[in-house]
Amino acid sequence: MILIVVLVVIALYIWSLYNKLVTTKARIKASIQEIGNQLKRQAEYIPNIIASANKYLKHEKDIFKGLTDARKSIMEAVKSNDPQKMVDAAGEFQKHFGKLSVLVENTPELKGVEVVTKQMDELRDTADKLMYSRRVLIDLTADYNIMVVTFPANLVAKLLGFTEEKGLVMPEEGSFREVSEEEMKTPKVD
Amino acid sequence: MMLNIYEQVDRNKRRSFLIMALFVVFVTFVIYILGQASGYGSSWVGMGLIFSGLMSFSSYYWSDKIILGISGAKEASKKEFFNFYTVTENLCLATDLPMPKLYVIDDSAPNAFATGRDPQHAVVCATTGLLDKLNRTELEGVIGHELSHVRNYDTRLMSVVAILVGLVALLGDWFLRSTRWGVRGRDRDRDEGGLGGLVFILAIVMALLAPVIAQLIQLAISRRREFFADASSAMITKYPQGLISALRKISADREPLEAANRATAHLYIVNPLKGEEFKGWLASLFNTHPPVAERIKALEGLA
Repeated sequence: MILIVVLVVIALYIWSLYNKLVTTKARIKASIQEIGNQLKRQAEYIPNIIASANKYLKHEKDIFKGLTDARKSIMEAVKSNDPQKMVDAAGEFQKHFGKLSVLVENTPELKGVEVVTKQMDELRDTADKLMYSRRVLIDLTADYNIMVVTFPANLVAKLLGFTEEKGLVMPEEGSFREVSEEEMKTPKVD
Repeated sequence: MMLNIYEQVDRNKRRSFLIMALFVVFVTFVIYILGQASGYGSSWVGMGLIFSGLMSFSSYYWSDKIILGISGAKEASKKEFFNFYTVTENLCLATDLPMPKLYVIDDSAPNAFATGRDPQHAVVCATTGLLDKLNRTELEGVIGHELSHVRNYDTRLMSVVAILVGLVALLGDWFLRSTRWGVRGRDRDRDEGGLGGLVFILAIVMALLAPVIAQLIQLAISRRREFFADASSAMITKYPQGLISALRKISADREPLEAANRATAHLYIVNPLKGEEFKGWLASLFNTHPPVAERIKALEGLA
């Protein structure tokens, strides 16, 4: 009798653990997909912002070249479907986008153009979305890896063939943060 | 004492649970005493429960529609309210919540609230004043706070609490009425003096005091949930400064929100009835929200 109870409890434990592992894995996959989607959206906006900002920033050839290159590596990273590559490409783009933001802020005639502000908003939003989906990916991977390696779940995980997922190596960056610091300051009125 | 975000969330959960437990014990005790003293016992309590339950259930089930109707809100589109819409989208991405319905109240007093019986029927509502005055980062803090209310099922919790508060008030009322008519239930002839009399006096005191006490506990729960939502918001955005700065801006604005009244005040991120906060130890028990300074202090502990 006691033996049966023990067996049932163990079976229930394995069942729920298996479901948890499978769900987390599916969510990890979904968050990688989300990163890919946002990168695609970002890549679509880059030519637009270049086209609309180009004539106001004629001498800033470097930044547009940087943006075009970043777009290329984004497209490649999306094709490879490797989260690390995708996140790296996003970080690369972020550097150039940060510079562009400052330029737009400091160029009054450009700031007044509605198409440009709209596109900058969209790009800033994709950057935020990328940051959040990247964070979700990191959190989920950490949860999953903890489950796979801690006792007694690790026994079950090993038995069912679940192995550790590769995490992301990543400096915590984002225009989100830099821009916000800027925005926090009270504007000076002369 | 400095607590990190996880510890603060845990502590908030524990305290909420403690207050809830205290509340249930209190309500049960009141019901028991009143039931004993009136002589009707449990059938009476059952009737009270049905009454109070029906009233609160309808307001819970249609909470989204009722509140929106009262506040005169209109739906927000991505095109018109870009930051509001996309910030909510992003935070839903981070919290794995379904996208709530977004509404905007046309009022220059900055404020926001969330309602709806579960995440699938959630509504987040902001005033145009809030959307105009806050930047994207501050807005993230506020929306994070509102989404935390949604994720923590606070509408549900507060509805259950409201049912119990309503029950206590009803029973107290009924009890006082029945004694005024000189009728004390079926077995009024049984032991008049001694313990029975003591229970009776206790019951009268309770019938008078219990509704007030129940409401005080309800307010304490409401305040605790605000702290909880603040801490959860900081956990979602990982940037408490955003919410701190938003709270400062909202509380610095002295304009009262026209769409709010006492019935809906507890829903908002900051008490919309400006100038009606109570100061002092005893009086502060009657506030729906903790003082903004205390909330900011708790958030600064996280930064």
